[in-house]
Amino acid sequence: MRDVSLPRSLEELWGLLDRESAAALYAGGTDLLVKLRAGLEDPPALICLERVGELKGVQDELDEVWIGAATTLSTLMEDPIIQRRFQVLRKGLEVLGSPPVRHMGTIGGNIVTASPAGDTLPALYVLGAQLEIRSKDGSRVVAIRDFIVGPGQVLLNRGEILAGIRLRKVQSYAIHHYEKVGRRKSQACAIASMAALLTVSDSGVVEAARLAWGSVGPTVVICREAEAAIEGKPLSMESLKLAIPLVEKAVSPIDDIRADAAYRRTVAGLLLLRLSEYSAGTCSAQ
Amino acid sequence: MKNKDKPPELQPFFDKNIAGDVVPSIGISMPRIDAYAKVTGRERYAADYYGFDMIWAGVKRAGIPHARLKSVNTQAAENLPGVIAVLTHKNISGSNRQGVIRKDQPVLVDDKVRHCGDAVALVLAEDKETLAKAIKLTSADFEPLPGVFTTETALEENAPLVHEDHPGGNVLLKASLEIGSVQSAKEHCDVLVEACFETPLVEHAYLETEAGWAQLKEDGKLEIVASTQTPFRDRMEVADALGLEPERIRMIAPYAGGAFGGKDGVTVQSLLGLAALHANGRPVKMWWSREESFIAGTKRHAARMYYRLGAKADGSLHSLDTRLYFDTGPYDHLGGVVITLALEHSGGPYRIPNVSFKGWAVYTNNPIGGAFRGFGVAQVTAAMEQMMDMLAEKLAMDPLKLRLKNAVRKGDKNCVGVTLTHSTGLVECLEAVARHPLWTERAAWKSKAGPFKRRGAGIVALMHASGYGPVVPDVANAKVELTAEGKIKVYCGVVDMGQGNAATNLQIAGSILCQNVDRIELILPDTDRTLPSGSASASRCTYTFGNALIGACETLKLRILQRAADLLMVDDCDETALIPGAVRHLPTGREIPLHRLATFMNESERTATQRFRAPTAKEIPPVGNEIRLHGFPHTLFSYGAHLVRVEVNELTGVVDVKRYLSVSDCGKIINPHVYEQQIQGAIAQGIGYALSEEVQVNEGKVLTADLATFIIPAASDVPEIESQPVEIYEPSGPYGLKGVGEIATNGPLPAIANAVADACGVRIFRSPLTPSRVLRALRERLSEGGVH
Repeated sequence: MRDVSLPRSLEELWGLLDRESAAALYAGGTDLLVKLRAGLEDPPALICLERVGELKGVQDELDEVWIGAATTLSTLMEDPIIQRRFQVLRKGLEVLGSPPVRHMGTIGGNIVTASPAGDTLPALYVLGAQLEIRSKDGSRVVAIRDFIVGPGQVLLNRGEILAGIRLRKVQSYAIHHYEKVGRRKSQACAIASMAALLTVSDSGVVEAARLAWGSVGPTVVICREAEAAIEGKPLSMESLKLAIPLVEKAVSPIDDIRADAAYRRTVAGLLLLRLSEYSAGTCSAQ
Repeated sequence: MKNKDKPPELQPFFDKNIAGDVVPSIGISMPRIDAYAKVTGRERYAADYYGFDMIWAGVKRAGIPHARLKSVNTQAAENLPGVIAVLTHKNISGSNRQGVIRKDQPVLVDDKVRHCGDAVALVLAEDKETLAKAIKLTSADFEPLPGVFTTETALEENAPLVHEDHPGGNVLLKASLEIGSVQSAKEHCDVLVEACFETPLVEHAYLETEAGWAQLKEDGKLEIVASTQTPFRDRMEVADALGLEPERIRMIAPYAGGAFGGKDGVTVQSLLGLAALHANGRPVKMWWSREESFIAGTKRHAARMYYRLGAKADGSLHSLDTRLYFDTGPYDHLGGVVITLALEHSGGPYRIPNVSFKGWAVYTNNPIGGAFRGFGVAQVTAAMEQMMDMLAEKLAMDPLKLRLKNAVRKGDKNCVGVTLTHSTGLVECLEAVARHPLWTERAAWKSKAGPFKRRGAGIVALMHASGYGPVVPDVANAKVELTAEGKIKVYCGVVDMGQGNAATNLQIAGSILCQNVDRIELILPDTDRTLPSGSASASRCTYTFGNALIGACETLKLRILQRAADLLMVDDCDETALIPGAVRHLPTGREIPLHRLATFMNESERTATQRFRAPTAKEIPPVGNEIRLHGFPHTLFSYGAHLVRVEVNELTGVVDVKRYLSVSDCGKIINPHVYEQQIQGAIAQGIGYALSEEVQVNEGKVLTADLATFIIPAASDVPEIESQPVEIYEPSGPYGLKGVGEIATNGPLPAIANAVADACGVRIFRSPLTPSRVLRALRERLSEGGVH
């Protein structure tokens, strides 16, 4: 038996954390409860964040959009601002788990779980998400790529929580792309995935590219070399193909029960080619 | 936690909401009588029991694949408060061996551990939490032994033996059959194709994992309620293993929450029986976790199959040479019967004059290979139907025409030498596929594949035998009763594990006796109440039991009408008719309500029984008695032809199943709704077998012991399925029916493999066709293409 607390405010939460500093924090529980059942974790108490009002919702704040960490994935998927401005994130949400998992799971949970396969993570990397970390004593902001340091490892100190995600609104990328390769169409862990943001000129030249891969390294993999290789060139099979070896070099996948490393490496590169469909107009950019 | 309160009695499982005041008819879709209670969660499966004063039983699993057991350390667990008993093989006074043909599986390990899932100790505790702790505290000392983990190594000379006392060494059963000569035939073939296919170990993954509960009654009777397909056989097995007289045991089989062959035999039953003997009369429950089900439950055999098929230039098949190696794991969970049925089906539904078939069921220290919907036929169909496509390609012949040319027809001898005397509708199935737009318009559809996509279509021809074969009696005994209240009770001896045969039984009885659904009660299998009726397996349930039930209902009907005629003082019972709730004298309109009539009849008069034994093949093909004992050959087959369209993603290797067509000859259909469910469910399961399902094992240890890593299809992975019946009347079947339970699950793997080959120009000989395997094959082909 262990205590489960359901604070309604941050004030209440800080009090609870003072008393039970070793408690495990969770929101939807879609990751933690699985680990508890399997006996992989045995915290003395649980604190659930899903009812803390200050951690929920999407706010439009001039240059930025703020997303409460305890906002459920399904809420986010239906949010008009996300739909209008951050399609790459929406595409990640659409293929995350299943409707029940999205109703329970939260974006903060997806980040803090820090699975290399987390379906919101590649999108948040290419969007340059900034994370708002709060504690009783204050708050700090950290880039997601600095926050996640390994599989399941994040730079969160005892007494701190992930409170929100900040996304810059001025993102000029017209093409928002996310593709996930799983062992089935839903309720599947990604075996490789890629998020991409592209700005393409009227003449078809890639002006800016942001790329990130999931499930092909201990954390989401970014590859500045590959971005640079396609920037300034036409969005075509030829130029994308040239970037493939750079991607294959950047990733460090493992063999596991779902797929072998060689496959993951190959697919990580090949997923780039899908971007050529945007130039052909066959891949809708919505 | 102990549940001290008795749960409120639930209402009967049938509900007016669903069936209403309908007199059932044969051939119409009726909502299943079990549907309402199941979807509203009111049906109580074996796993749903939480009775007064109930305790929990659980198993300490070996966790090591092969070892000599030195000792079991029970003291620490016994000292834990809340633990009632920790039992070992020493507490068993019977044979401590279970099995159907060869009894080689211990209830609790006594001499040797033969796979990781072996049960070493049985723990009884007041609640689940204590049980889990006590199982952890129980330990055993082992002397590890080298194990055998592939059929190849198991067959090597000096391989470690799984059963030292088995005269065949690690070969549980070798089955073989020769007709004509494949040696000289090869010289007469214009074309030969050769390949080796590998199919994976597969989990049934039923919703309800192995579960049940048991209680030792005051009169000394041991009652066991279990999720099982085989209550009557279980009773004998449990009695033998525990050293009890069979009549002391009562087995009750509620609706099972899925079984697919995984409950064709003992799972929890003997353990529960043993637990109940040490529970001071309290009810004991056991319910395996999903992980435990993966580790300890049976699986579909992994197989390696060598094929060599020869044909004349015109496409007529001339010779087939096969060698089948099935990994049966450590125990004979019907492994010999599985390899025998595989052998019988290894040449598919074709006329082949020269065959040499050899099959080995091989003991290993892997998880237990056993019965699984398809029963060996899923594996060999995967091989043979891909061979047919490979042959068609080599002959530059249309694959459908090649199949039609060689398809068995009524009166032919099939390739194991049995004359097909029953309905044989394969040609009709193939012709229906040939006419279908999904086939005729495939070229246009393929040409419209988008960027990075390749499209392909694949077909297969199918056959599946029904029943047990010639030696083991394929029998059902039906009983119907006009109750003292004037209602009808149908005593069903064959388990309904979800396939819907209980609803079909009600439909048959209601139709013959002209009674509304709500006047009929089904008594589910119970060794004290229903009559012995064989297993729910082998595509036999409605064929065999339905035939018996028709006889029993007709007998009861005549008796009711005769008795009514006597009471009405009319000469001829032909002038009377059963109507809902009554008998009516048609010329005068006089009626006697059934409840009134029943008061004039004594119990034996109100009850009718009927036995039916399925027909067997009268020919004696050239095989040994041992193979006949294992069920060879059959006389009655269902047939089918499947078509699938797939799209292969060139960048990821992902295969997307776009459309599926199934045409089946399963005789006449009693309830189209239930029939459709069988076909659709079997195809969904087959798609999983084709694309994603694979129990991965390393040195006997299961690596994919949950549904996050053992990937079964979800709703969006199953395409629109069109199912057409070819309703050919089978005279020996109830209302012309043949079995439909298994056949459709054999189609998707070879159909999809053929479609992938059609799309990509490469064939993948190892299934499932995972993205990794498909992409590798595609890229190897592309790089080869570069060389040319």
